[in-house]
Amino acid sequence: MNLIAVGINHRTAPLEVREKLWMSSDEIRKAVADLKGRPFSECFIVSTCNRTELYGMYNSSEGDSENPPDVDDLKDRLIAFKSAGSSVHREHLYHMVSSNAIRHLFKVASGIDSMVIGDIQILSQIKDDFNLASEEKATGPFLHRLLQSTYHVGKRTRTETTITEGAVSVSYAAVELASKIFSDLSKKTALLIGAGETGELTAKHLNGRGIGGLFVANRTRSKADDLVAALGGKAVEFDALQQMLAHVDIVVSSVTSDHYVITKTDVQRAMKERSHKPLFMIDIGVPRNIDPAANNIENVFLHDMDGISAIIDGNLQKRRSEIPRVNEIVLEELTEFTNWFNSLQVNPTIHDLRTHFEQVRQEEVEKNINRFSAEDRELLDLVTRRIVNKLLHLPTTNLKNGNEESDEEKHKKLHIVRSLFGLHKEQMPKE
Amino acid sequence: MLRALRKLKEKDDIIQENPMKTLIDVFTVALPLLYFSTVWAYAKAFFKDSAAAKRTKTPLLLATLAVHLSYLLLRSAFFNHPPITTIFEIMSIIAFSIGAAYAVIEFQTKVKNTGYFILILAFIFQTISSFFIENLSEVKPVLRSSLLGIHVSSALLGYAAIAISAVYGFLYLMLYHHIKSSRFGVIYTKLPNLETLEKMSILSIIFGFSFLTVAIAVGLIWLPRAFDHFSYFDPKLIGTVFIWAMYGAGLGAKKTIGWQGRKIMILSIIAFAVSFFSLTIINVYFSAFHKFY
Repeated sequence: MNLIAVGINHRTAPLEVREKLWMSSDEIRKAVADLKGRPFSECFIVSTCNRTELYGMYNSSEGDSENPPDVDDLKDRLIAFKSAGSSVHREHLYHMVSSNAIRHLFKVASGIDSMVIGDIQILSQIKDDFNLASEEKATGPFLHRLLQSTYHVGKRTRTETTITEGAVSVSYAAVELASKIFSDLSKKTALLIGAGETGELTAKHLNGRGIGGLFVANRTRSKADDLVAALGGKAVEFDALQQMLAHVDIVVSSVTSDHYVITKTDVQRAMKERSHKPLFMIDIGVPRNIDPAANNIENVFLHDMDGISAIIDGNLQKRRSEIPRVNEIVLEELTEFTNWFNSLQVNPTIHDLRTHFEQVRQEEVEKNINRFSAEDRELLDLVTRRIVNKLLHLPTTNLKNGNEESDEEKHKKLHIVRSLFGLHKEQMPKE
Repeated sequence: MLRALRKLKEKDDIIQENPMKTLIDVFTVALPLLYFSTVWAYAKAFFKDSAAAKRTKTPLLLATLAVHLSYLLLRSAFFNHPPITTIFEIMSIIAFSIGAAYAVIEFQTKVKNTGYFILILAFIFQTISSFFIENLSEVKPVLRSSLLGIHVSSALLGYAAIAISAVYGFLYLMLYHHIKSSRFGVIYTKLPNLETLEKMSILSIIFGFSFLTVAIAVGLIWLPRAFDHFSYFDPKLIGTVFIWAMYGAGLGAKKTIGWQGRKIMILSIIAFAVSFFSLTIINVYFSAFHKFY
């Protein structure tokens, strides 16, 4: 099939290079409008922070399956479109054709080609970017069917495997750990010490899980106020955080300090005051903000970056172990898509072949009809029809029974038949 | 004499050919297999994340319990006494009590992945029972009382519930130490959170305490009437009341002092160890009138 994919991703280029090819929605619209027609009959572009990929179905009239569009030319066009020639070179881009391009798209949708394995946010980005191309009328029946299969791969990956499960970022892992201690976060409160990025993200995720209350303490009060304005909750004085320990269930600390902000004695005092109710503390400060000895106190769960990293590593390992199962899904969907495509390719060829033979028969019958008596004319029609049917029977059967042939072999055979009999009209799959 | 023997043999033949008896025999063999399948499904769901096992484990448990209940009722009807006359009949009731108490807790808490650790006990008890159980038609008249049936069943349900509470306490402590020491393996991934495990343990204690209350109340009404040698100083009676008081005091302390977390889970395990000691050592070596096998 005449599909080609050209792209750049985290495997082929560093961030500072691939960001040069990142496209906004408007740029995607312009690019697909430019590529539609020449060289592609259908195309779309996916662009995220980790990849920019162009998928296009090329016309046989522009270049047939033996001679696809010049890949270097396509790469140059992408680079030129973003005027990124000084930083991006052809070597940063890869290309794939036919079923390899489809397999790649399916792998992207399943999350196994993502920078963080199992991150399938890409699926909604593919959907959004495809809609942009659709609105520009750059997509057609082939790509619509391909996208349906792509969504199906994403959906099956989510439901049939666990590749998307388990936190793989510090902030998510902290919330996951809190959920292993407490059953209902809406009945718990959290204290965020410091207004750093990771702490803020953790607070956001806790908010997302419906935390019952959020307090923010920062040395610079205005920063705490800003964060509270953005996330909700209440700002508290930095000096009062030791007292706060008795009233909150979760503490996330990420301040820069050369001494412990919370000592073991602080925690001991707080635990007494809170009747030894469990207290979960995450210390993501470097150097550490909370005295590690506090973890020895009963019902206190203190974790630092090492502990959180252990969770992330474990989850990534589990995700990696699911890759073979995801590859099976990709292969199953690829086979189904290829079968669909081949059925569409074979049937129109058979139809065209039969139409061509019938035209020749009718022309010859009409040309010679007067040579036959009135009573023989019906017989002539019948006999010529039979001859054509008999001649076409074996080629038709052979074309239909090519399921064991490879994609390329089948394509070659169809191409030869079309060339031999002059069936040049371009065949596109219909929905 | 000869006529009497012939009559006895005829009665035995009737028993042998009775379809109800055949069903009891089939259930005796089927129950360990059913418990094994249930435990297997719970284990596959917990350790291997099997989707099929996750779907089938609870229906399988309910089917096993339905067969087990039918088995106990059939035995009671056919042998004309509640199945509490031998240690192996008691074991079958213990297995059923553990399974039933676990099913109630699973439905109450909606936590479905701890069954393996509980139901394996039911499987062990039922397997021993099925291997050694005897079909006795002739038993002491005192053991035919339906009040005794209620007394023993509620006592066993109570003990089953506190055994379950100890298992949850044990799981709590395992997860507690795994989290404390940053070990994030199967225990961390698959067990429910600490608060839920604590809740399940406490819920089991409440069930256990309630059933023991019924057992003691029925026992105190019925025992003095049924036994000539009844004594309020019987070690088994004192042991049971002590266990009951211990759990009652624990529940009260939790409510009033607000004990929670590791401490109360350790207490639940200690209380179970004391109960186990009372049930085994005291029952076998010290109990007087209150001992039947």
